[in-house]
Amino acid sequence: MTPHGIITDEWIVSYASGALSEAHALVVASHCHYHPELQQKVLDAEAIGGGLMENTQPAEISDDLFEDLMSKLDGVPANDEPALQDSKLPAPLAEYLDKPLDELKWKMMGPGLSQVRLWTGPNDERLWLLRAKGGAKVPAHDHNGLEMTLVLQGSYRVGEAQFTPGLMEIADDDTRNHCPEIDHGEDCICLVVTEAPIKIHSLIGRLVQPFIGL
Amino acid sequence: MEEQNSAALLSHEQLVVLVAKNKDKEAFKTLFYHFAPRLKSYLLNFKIGNQKAEELAQEVMMILWQKAEKFDAEKAKLSTWLFRVARNKFIDHSRRQKYATVNAEDHMKEMVAPERTDEPFEAQERSTLIIEAMKKLSTDQRTVIELSFFKELSHSEIAAETGLPLGTVKSRIRMAFQVLRNELGELR
Repeated sequence: MTPHGIITDEWIVSYASGALSEAHALVVASHCHYHPELQQKVLDAEAIGGGLMENTQPAEISDDLFEDLMSKLDGVPANDEPALQDSKLPAPLAEYLDKPLDELKWKMMGPGLSQVRLWTGPNDERLWLLRAKGGAKVPAHDHNGLEMTLVLQGSYRVGEAQFTPGLMEIADDDTRNHCPEIDHGEDCICLVVTEAPIKIHSLIGRLVQPFIGL
Repeated sequence: MEEQNSAALLSHEQLVVLVAKNKDKEAFKTLFYHFAPRLKSYLLNFKIGNQKAEELAQEVMMILWQKAEKFDAEKAKLSTWLFRVARNKFIDHSRRQKYATVNAEDHMKEMVAPERTDEPFEAQERSTLIIEAMKKLSTDQRTVIELSFFKELSHSEIAAETGLPLGTVKSRIRMAFQVLRNELGELR
């Protein structure tokens, strides 16, 4: 990925076209929230969609469709957007969670690590929040399929690379022995989507894995 | 803008302003008859029934009526805005999912300042630029763009459909996007 921690354009296009799953769309949209240049790219990709839509062969519509709509307009109040609950979070995530992070049900998953499972999709796709104490180490693991991690608070390192709030790490089948180390200081909180259960190396890790739900 | 032009002579963006400010039904009607058949046509790509496509197109236009004042022509073209609403409506309907929105009006941060040359294109010319831009793509590139926008296929689904390696699918989408952005750049 170039530049470091910024998602590449094929994700922008697939987001804009509507091709991403709920979890991937949320992570990508939340990531874009931190980066105006990505928002501009999304807008450009949506403009492509808008252009393609506008240039399709117009379909026949029912004769009374317009009148029917006008008759529905009276008395239908526009539903106002709910106020965002946690302003520290990127807006798409705040809207999705609809409550502050502290009010979520965090489950311990090891020393200094806890998680909240937000969504499980088809093919075992999972969306979750990970909270790790400063200095903690996430057990070494491999991946089946793609893992996207967006940092919301705090920071961590994988080898030389540091991931800070707003940056995204993408790991896939080729990422072996993935062993993120949390930087010292405040808790690190990440929004993560995995396509299949990760493969934890240690025996203890594998024993507890079914219970922590990763 | 004191002259009362007939709705047909105004740009779509100017018509939205009339809808927002005056709840102008004639202006809205012009927009409806332009966009509703096209929105329906776009929605029919996704193999939903005729009636459902019409229903969703109608809902999208209803949202335009209700939220016209939130539309900002400085930030997006009307077709872009309607496309976004239609995409989200369709996903909400078909997958029972809420599609996270990047450029929702109330979370727009300061965007990169667009390089705007004043009114360089007539509205008509503007709306067909995408057709010219699509012609600049190679057949391979056009295929991945069409599978993305007209079938909502993910990278791995496109790989399965075309028999291409996943990496090739991703790089073709990237290349195609770069070409289209270059071609459409003047719009921003």
